[in-house]
Amino acid sequence: MSIAPSAPTLKDYRGDVNTWCPGCGHFGVLAALQRALVNLKISPHEVITVSGIGCSSKVPEYMRSYGFHSLHGRALPVAQGAKMGAKDLHVIVTGGDGDGYGIGGNHFLHAVRRNMDVTYIVMDNGLYSLTKGQTSPTSPLGFVTRTTVYGNKERPLDALSVAIAAGGTFVAQGFSSDVKRLTEILERAIQHRGFALVNVLSPCVTYNKVLTYDYYKEHLVTVEEPFPTREEAIRFVKEHRGLVHGILFVDPETPDYQTALGYELRTREIDEGPMDEALLRELEEEFR
Amino acid sequence: MPQPAERKNFPKEMLQYRSRFPILSHIHKPPVPARGGRKNTRGGVKSMELAALEWKVGGQQGEGIDSTGEVLARTLFRYGYYVTTYRQFESRIKGGHTDFKVRATPAPTHFHGDKVDILVGFDDETLPVHRPELKPGAVVILEGDGIKVTEEDGYTLAVFPLKAIATELGNPLAKNMIALGITGGLISLPREAFYHFIEEQFKRKGADVIASNKRAVDRGYELAQEHLAHKVKTLPPRDIDPNRLYLSGNEAIAFGAYMAGLTFLSAYPITPASEIMEWLAAKLPKRGGAVMQVEDEIAGITFAIGASFAGARAMTTSSGPGIALKTEAIALAGESETPVVVVDVQRAGPSTGMPTRHEQGDLNHLLHAAHGDFPRIVLYPSSVEDAFYLAAEALNLAEIYQTVVFLVSDLGLGMNKQTTPRFDPRRVEIRRGKIVSEEEARALGEFFFKRYRITEDGISPRPLPGNPYAVALTSSNEHREDGHIDETIEARNAQMEKRMRKLRGLRIRNPFYVDHPDAATLLVAVGSARGPVEEAAAALREEGYDVGTLFLQQLAPLPVEELRTLLVGRHVITVEHNYTGQLLGWLRRHLPIHEHSTTITQYDGRPFFAERIVREAKERIADEHRAERAHA
Ligand SMILES: Cc1ncc(C[n+]2csc(CCOP(=O)(O)OP(=O)(O)O)c2C)c(N)n1
Repeated sequence: MSIAPSAPTLKDYRGDVNTWCPGCGHFGVLAALQRALVNLKISPHEVITVSGIGCSSKVPEYMRSYGFHSLHGRALPVAQGAKMGAKDLHVIVTGGDGDGYGIGGNHFLHAVRRNMDVTYIVMDNGLYSLTKGQTSPTSPLGFVTRTTVYGNKERPLDALSVAIAAGGTFVAQGFSSDVKRLTEILERAIQHRGFALVNVLSPCVTYNKVLTYDYYKEHLVTVEEPFPTREEAIRFVKEHRGLVHGILFVDPETPDYQTALGYELRTREIDEGPMDEALLRELEEEFR
Repeated sequence: MPQPAERKNFPKEMLQYRSRFPILSHIHKPPVPARGGRKNTRGGVKSMELAALEWKVGGQQGEGIDSTGEVLARTLFRYGYYVTTYRQFESRIKGGHTDFKVRATPAPTHFHGDKVDILVGFDDETLPVHRPELKPGAVVILEGDGIKVTEEDGYTLAVFPLKAIATELGNPLAKNMIALGITGGLISLPREAFYHFIEEQFKRKGADVIASNKRAVDRGYELAQEHLAHKVKTLPPRDIDPNRLYLSGNEAIAFGAYMAGLTFLSAYPITPASEIMEWLAAKLPKRGGAVMQVEDEIAGITFAIGASFAGARAMTTSSGPGIALKTEAIALAGESETPVVVVDVQRAGPSTGMPTRHEQGDLNHLLHAAHGDFPRIVLYPSSVEDAFYLAAEALNLAEIYQTVVFLVSDLGLGMNKQTTPRFDPRRVEIRRGKIVSEEEARALGEFFFKRYRITEDGISPRPLPGNPYAVALTSSNEHREDGHIDETIEARNAQMEKRMRKLRGLRIRNPFYVDHPDAATLLVAVGSARGPVEEAAAALREEGYDVGTLFLQQLAPLPVEELRTLLVGRHVITVEHNYTGQLLGWLRRHLPIHEHSTTITQYDGRPFFAERIVREAKERIADEHRAERAHA
């Protein structure tokens, strides 16, 4: 598919000046994503990155590609629309846990179910960081923040199990400090034909004093091979309270949305000039 | 007799916007018998000619009221008449009173009329609800026990056991066909007209069903001959003009958008807008486009924005409550300069209000919706015909100006059908605006393409993703020319001013239609209010009132200069379907017409009666004259 003059390098993917806090987990995710694309020999003009709003949603700013930095919680519908507009391009969505599982929770569920061929990277820091550290849907029970002064009373969302149960065809979890493994996961996710969820544990060094690099290093359990059934994958996630690392489940059989449509999409081939008179007269018959 | 205050010279260049529309005021009068009546050879009974027909059927929802009305409407359309219809229904599937009005006229109109010549009722509510609409000498056909024909105060009441007769004929469902047969008999319509439809309609159900429905129609004709011979009139056949169509505003919007190259529609179902999505769902895949029914209205617009960003021609459709949900993304289209067409087929609000009733209460919202300042285009067709052209124009304008275009409609216009001239494919050219080619982008040689280049006309050339030389960032945040976040004063002001420049001087082909533009009083309306206003104005003129009409189609940017010449210093009356006079408010905001303007409003969910507009307009004109005398 490449129409780039030469093979892409990391330099081609270099974006605008980065403003994340030093040590932010999101650096690892950005690096892994850029590396995965270079490894797959995909050029920046063949990629659309779409994000919502949040620290994590700055990815389209910080890497070079066709980007759309959209609205808080709306990255998934914008991205799926973009895929409908440009089916030959790789559509990659980046955002935070607040963006994707909070305000965008409804879209998340339906995107999983719809199985459109986009890669969804959630940079999960258990917090709303850009707005300075409020509780998010993945914050632990009892977590104390500015909006849960007496401790979080809501249980965290198990997005991995939800995605697997809702029919997700590629569900994985990465860790932002293991860039090598994350790169491999992302390569497979991008190559997967269908909706791929990669939840990345990505510590917020400024506001999250619980879900830290050390905490994950101590607790994360590695998954070497995807589980053969959804049930086993979910059981494993539950047993380890979500502290798992690797590709959990893949269903290569279910067709992605555009394949399931059963016809060739041509949404951007639009002829300028006069209307097609013959077609107009043909369709008018319905109204005569 | 009121005197025009001061005659204005009407500028010549504005004549292009004049409505070429013949007015049907004569139809308001009781039908004049053609010189002494005419011999009806079929029945041997003297019968009068009807100039036009107004017919209504009422019953409980789920009884086939719509299809009954639709069969008569189509029959009369093919019989050479101009047909206008109006459906009233409740927000439930079965039960509840519903009615369907059909008006057949010898000349074009946008109005389904005030009155009824023949009323058919299958339930107890039909007569009491519609009794005030009956013309003197009307015929009311009701379902009941036994056959009974009586002369009531001003109308003939005919009760027939339609269901029982239909059962006798072997098809209880055919009671509607009997009623249509009675109607046909009453206006001496050739039976073949109905036969044709029955064959078409029941093709798949087989010969038996076709035969039993034809028997039912025949039985209706017989009942009319046997019991209502003294009421039989003739609706003379008219020359069939092959250049006419019969369709609704919703169908016209869908059709217009399709013809203008729409390739992507994402929406969430809502009355009265769903029909647009449904029509396109069948058609778009045939040319590689797609219709997606997505999870909610927010997804409806954001999918469309994403698709448009990637190069599709995209639209989303909804009604008030759904438009409310879309407002944040409307601002996204404004800031990111992504083309998108948002169709609002209004219904009665606020909130879920009256989901199946008519209103024009969203204007304030559409003219102001979303936070921040950004340019928007608001178009409102005033006829089924213009719904087609404006849908096409909306898609062009969205791409040319890279912003949101609202295409406003209303339940009255959207869900009802009218006879309309065939469409002229040369009237709207498909244009996509400034899309950067690979060669152009290559020549510029930018590592980060300047998606938001500062330009004189406010429009920045737009690359479609995939162009190898124009990798660019599209953003909801304020940005530099290359799309990256920048909140410096320079970047902000440059981008804001660039965006706000883009609609300068924008004029659509028919920003408004005006008739009798130099009249002392101008009735101003939008959308489906055009029909009754047009006829009310004609009736007022016949009584000697100096009244003109103006139907506004381009609400934003408002064509202020042209409107200034037409409206300032003249007596302006807006006629609108909302409580506060939203259209008048918008005009007053832009034009110094406060002293000589007023509004006639209606917010009961039902369409205007022309009669009421006539009555109220006279009062407003009298008030205006009193005020002027007081000033003098
Ligand atoms: C509709 C709307 N509500 C609220 C906000 C404010 N807001 C900006 S970013 C954000 C949270 C981001 O958190 P998350 O998605 O977890 O990303 P992170 O910053 O933690 O990477 C919020 C609430 C907004 N931009 N839009």
